[in-house]
Amino acid sequence: MYELTICHLYPDLMNLYGDRGNIITLTKRCQWRGIEVKIIPVSLGDEFRYKDYDIIFIGGGQDYEQTILQDDLMRSKRQPIIEAVESSKVVLGICGGFQLLGKYYRTHTGSEIECIGALDLWTHGGETRLIGNLVIECDFLKGKDPQGYVVGFENHSGKTYLGEGVKPLGKVIKGFGNNGEDGFEGAIYKNTYCSYSHGSLLPKNPVLADHLITLALLNKYPDFMGLEPLSDTLEQQAHDTVIARIISE
Amino acid sequence: MKNLIKKIHLTFTIIITKITIWLLRLLDRGGTSLPGKVALKIYPDILTELADKFRIIMITGTNGKTTTSRIAAGMLEQSGIMHVTNKSGANLVSGIATTLISSLTLTGKARVRTALLETDEAAFKRIAPKLKPEVCIVTNFFRDQLDRYGELYTTLNSVREGIIGTPETVLILNADDSLCASLGKGISNPVIYFGIAPDVYPEANLNINNDAAYCINCSTRYEYSSVTFAHLGHFKCPKCGYERPEAQVECSQVLAYDNLSSTIEIRLPEMKFSTKLALPGLYNIYNALAGASLGKYLGLDEKGLIHVLEGFECGFGRMESVNVMNREIKLILVKNPTGYNQVIKYLLTQKGHCVLALLLSDNLADGTDISWIWDVDFEILSFMKERIRAFHVSGKRAEDMAVRLKYAGIEQDNIKIEHDWNKLIDNIINDAGEQETIYVLPTYTAMLDIRKVLKNRFKLKEFWK
Ligand SMILES: [Zn+2]
Repeated sequence: MYELTICHLYPDLMNLYGDRGNIITLTKRCQWRGIEVKIIPVSLGDEFRYKDYDIIFIGGGQDYEQTILQDDLMRSKRQPIIEAVESSKVVLGICGGFQLLGKYYRTHTGSEIECIGALDLWTHGGETRLIGNLVIECDFLKGKDPQGYVVGFENHSGKTYLGEGVKPLGKVIKGFGNNGEDGFEGAIYKNTYCSYSHGSLLPKNPVLADHLITLALLNKYPDFMGLEPLSDTLEQQAHDTVIARIISE
Repeated sequence: MKNLIKKIHLTFTIIITKITIWLLRLLDRGGTSLPGKVALKIYPDILTELADKFRIIMITGTNGKTTTSRIAAGMLEQSGIMHVTNKSGANLVSGIATTLISSLTLTGKARVRTALLETDEAAFKRIAPKLKPEVCIVTNFFRDQLDRYGELYTTLNSVREGIIGTPETVLILNADDSLCASLGKGISNPVIYFGIAPDVYPEANLNINNDAAYCINCSTRYEYSSVTFAHLGHFKCPKCGYERPEAQVECSQVLAYDNLSSTIEIRLPEMKFSTKLALPGLYNIYNALAGASLGKYLGLDEKGLIHVLEGFECGFGRMESVNVMNREIKLILVKNPTGYNQVIKYLLTQKGHCVLALLLSDNLADGTDISWIWDVDFEILSFMKERIRAFHVSGKRAEDMAVRLKYAGIEQDNIKIEHDWNKLIDNIINDAGEQETIYVLPTYTAMLDIRKVLKNRFKLKEFWK
């Protein structure tokens, strides 16, 4: 019997627009295969021991909420998050969570907010918001999905740039991506995955969801042989119809 | 001389705008924003000019604007005050300009002196300081279409900015909403707060994924002594002491409620009465309280207030019902997680077998980002799934809704995707037994689409005017 424990960091603050969908998807796709899942919310004032968790999720928040958690994050969670990333825990950072995992966020007025610094990337606040449907091509998914396409929706004003040693999650086919300039979206470092695509990222991209579940199981059970396939007709239909529509727009 | 030119300019603007309105009507296109756009082009500061001609009541907030406007309209009628009002969907600057100009004579005199204006939250800060409303009702603040408005606090601050520009306006604010109630702090405006007394609603629950868990002043987590829904309730900040203000208009008891109505006791200064609202759900109690606050301000007595509250029925976009082939089709507009959760709770109170059709589109008026469906508690539907004959999904994002239902615990085989409105209608009618109810929950543009098809197909002239 396999078991996974998922940590939802700051669920009461970093839950912008459907980020819960990612947790629901990870949970259901495990349960449908008989893998037991525990979700542990960790918020302000809670102790965070990364070794207790197999998957760590941090979603997006509004500016106001991000300022609330800043102190708590830097004081009590920063170091364990860095250690989790370095020790190849599966970490998923979306939107604001993606930015926080980087080194700093420079607002468009020029002040710099220090971030966790687990990944070599940084964000500059922009004047306009980059909003819309997003399709990216992910090489690491090509064995599972013919084109390796991942579809989502982005809504951010920060422009993120990747340093050396951090790979993008994918190449932008449609949309803006990290900064609207270099044609890339998201970030991968060890088993940490980041994306600007919020809300329904995993529900509509079951192949990506399964990729993360597999990594987590391999970490915990080195002899793990691979996930049983599920009937993903609806998921695949949602994935394909949205992509077809967006690409033809 | 300068005044004369200004007057000619204004008259010219009114004439051109009226011609545009007439032309659109001639072409059978009930355009509500184009005439206003034309007016603003010719006379950019037209709102300031119009402000002097009307006594204005504005209504803004995330949820409940339309229902509250309709109750407020009832209060004005009961008080014998003739008024004009804008259609929902015409709540931006241009729509408001159109509404006001339509009720002027060619010489610029107001035919009706009072205007009741539903106003978009984001547009409020530009409109309110110009129109200088006598009264402004703010219903609540929830997340809604963030792709359009940016962040919730940006929306709140936009409304705050509008209020700061109108220091004379009487504010009617939701005491139970820490965001909305904060608008009444540190200003000189007279404020009437409305709210629900602690522990009067039996199905209250505290949802941790809420929009405003932390104090707006000092970022400490609020403590709640009672919660009605989402972040609404009796909040108190343990650090700075900011707390739910005392409500002058309060629902002091919920005496009974069912799937169509609730009977409540309302306490106002110097009066207390029971009334039966012909509207279901807790959110409508708030709308009724907001409306009653206006009624009280207008000087209505107990009898007058009750008359309006009991006589009120649902209007466009809230809940509409029509009989087709011995089945009742109920349309309920859904547009954001909080509203959707309320509708799902309402479905739970329904008896008997039914059919569900969830219509999700992502046009501009619906919100182009549909991620919010993951914040809706569709999981609750699995508690009543043996009563639901089938789950139909449609709209431009039907497949996304299908996935959402699957992950909420609904069997894949019981979820049917159909993009063709006509075929969808055939399917839902087939799946429902005689005398059963079909609940159709559409987003805004899906609502317009399905209404049109239903209306044409069943030659429904009398309904949905
Ligand atoms: Zn406080």
